Amino acid sequence: MMRLAWRNVWRNRRRSLINAAAMGFGLAAIMFGQSLILSLQVQLIEKATGSITGHVRIQRGDVDESKFPDKFMIDPEPGARLLEKDPRVSVWGRRIQTTGLISAPNASLGALICAVEPEKERLLTDMATYIKEGTYLDADGKGIVMGRKIATRLDVRLGEKVVLMAQAADGSMGAEAFRVVGLHETGSESFDGQIVWVPLKAMQEMLARPGQANQLAARLKDITQADAVAQELDAALGPGNVRAITWKAIDREIISVQAFQNAILSVVLVIVFAIVALGILNTQLMSLFERVREFGVLMSIGARPGWVVRLILAESLLLGLVGAAFGAMLGAVLIGTFGRYGLHLPLGEALSYFLPFPSVIYMHPSWRLHALACASLFVITLLAALPPALRAGRLKPAEALRHV
Amino acid sequence: MSDFVSAVGIEKIYDNGSKVAALKGVDLAIARGDFAALAGPSGSGKSTLLNVIGTLDRPTKGAVRYEGRDVCALDAHAQADFRLRALGFVFQAYNLIPVLTAAENIEYPLVLKGVESGQRRKLALEALRAVSLESFADRRPDLLSGGQQQRVAVARAIVHRPSLVLADEPTANLDSKTGAQLLDLMEGLNKEQGITFLFSSHDPAVLERARRVIHLHDGELRADEVRR
Repeated sequence: MMRLAWRNVWRNRRRSLINAAAMGFGLAAIMFGQSLILSLQVQLIEKATGSITGHVRIQRGDVDESKFPDKFMIDPEPGARLLEKDPRVSVWGRRIQTTGLISAPNASLGALICAVEPEKERLLTDMATYIKEGTYLDADGKGIVMGRKIATRLDVRLGEKVVLMAQAADGSMGAEAFRVVGLHETGSESFDGQIVWVPLKAMQEMLARPGQANQLAARLKDITQADAVAQELDAALGPGNVRAITWKAIDREIISVQAFQNAILSVVLVIVFAIVALGILNTQLMSLFERVREFGVLMSIGARPGWVVRLILAESLLLGLVGAAFGAMLGAVLIGTFGRYGLHLPLGEALSYFLPFPSVIYMHPSWRLHALACASLFVITLLAALPPALRAGRLKPAEALRHV
Repeated sequence: MSDFVSAVGIEKIYDNGSKVAALKGVDLAIARGDFAALAGPSGSGKSTLLNVIGTLDRPTKGAVRYEGRDVCALDAHAQADFRLRALGFVFQAYNLIPVLTAAENIEYPLVLKGVESGQRRKLALEALRAVSLESFADRRPDLLSGGQQQRVAVARAIVHRPSLVLADEPTANLDSKTGAQLLDLMEGLNKEQGITFLFSSHDPAVLERARRVIHLHDGELRADEVRR
């Protein structure tokens, strides 16, 4: 049967080639879309968690906005002990993140102050790699690292002093002078224009909170374990007012963006596959109409109706195989090319307002999703061929033989 | 010779808006080894009767018994199996599968029967030899003449050793010489292999070759003439 089906596929070579090409281009477009969205999502998560959020965080349970835990101080040590002994944690650090005021002789600005343990933070986030002028923080010093944009707005240069002010947990204002030791340039308006970095110890002194922090941020060896790690940490932390959360609870907008992108991809997928399905349906209906007499002959020499149905489905499946092979190759070449040379996306520039995000995306394949797209193509191919196949199966031999 | 196919009270009414009776109560018995022709003008019901006997069409009324079994009562599935086992067909327009070679066309009933490929090829070549076309085994139908195509069709009809071959105007598309050669072939197969042939024609030259001629007119059996 397969030999006859294969030859039938190529009976009208041009039509089959156009059809296979349509399927192939459709599949390649889907694979490209899947890879693009996945690469964007992976890069978005990597950049968000790698710039500031971390994979898992321990903080007070009553923090109302996780991006700004402000005055919700905790004793970090019980959590620190848990993180230290968890083999899934790659690196962790204590932090105080708070909003405050930064003043220079000529100007003042509101800013998000990130007080960190510098040596741990170097491994926890990649902010140290963005320093273009000066050095990173010294744990025992009173240095401050800020974006070039803040420095320009404050009219301060490397080596000059600024004063930070922030509200302590008791409501009083803490203030401290810091010397500008490093200027970074991430390309992100939010990071370069709104965030400053200081050593944790200096901030604890400034807020009169020695040994305290308002969060513990951890980077895991494998981000996909974040939920499991957070759950176990949560259980181990006990019933108190300190809990473990994942990056998903902090960067909720990324999850929304992911859901939105996935929804758009699904719609595109449905549209592309609908076009492919209509192409197959059209081809098989035309092919059926052209070969009614031939099906009559096959039935007269003893082919069962089910055999004729299977023949048409086999033809469609073979055509689908050719289209899928072509599409998979084309898709792999596209993804490989843009994986190697990168794809310039204006979207990167838009996203970089919120976080450091490159405007060039390096695409990588998602074999599971691509395999799913191929499988869907086969299913669609078979489903589209089903109506003409069933119609052929219902032909009456004598009527089919009379067909002109 | 005993009857092995009998058509009893066959009526066939086509209803395409208005009702047309193509067969009006035909009774016919075919004996094993017959070389019989259905004769009659166009519209007399020859093809319809062949289709009904061959289970390609169901009668409006009546039954076709094959070795005593009513094959009209079988479902489509079982009728297909019956045709595969017992019948061979030759059509006026050859009706070979254009994408298959001569040998592959002949092999097709064997494919449907599940015969393994080596045996299939052997039987197909034997059938080709029987119709004197063994050197054309690997040619596609479009590279064969009309007469050659019809001989391949005959080979396809006999390759699975059916007991009855039904041929609807088998010589109508052939010139008289080629038509005569095809009849020689069919007659030879009838005599040498004992295959029963029932074919239709309105050509007197063809009808002359039949040992039995059944005359149909307006869907009725008018005469049944046996020659020796």
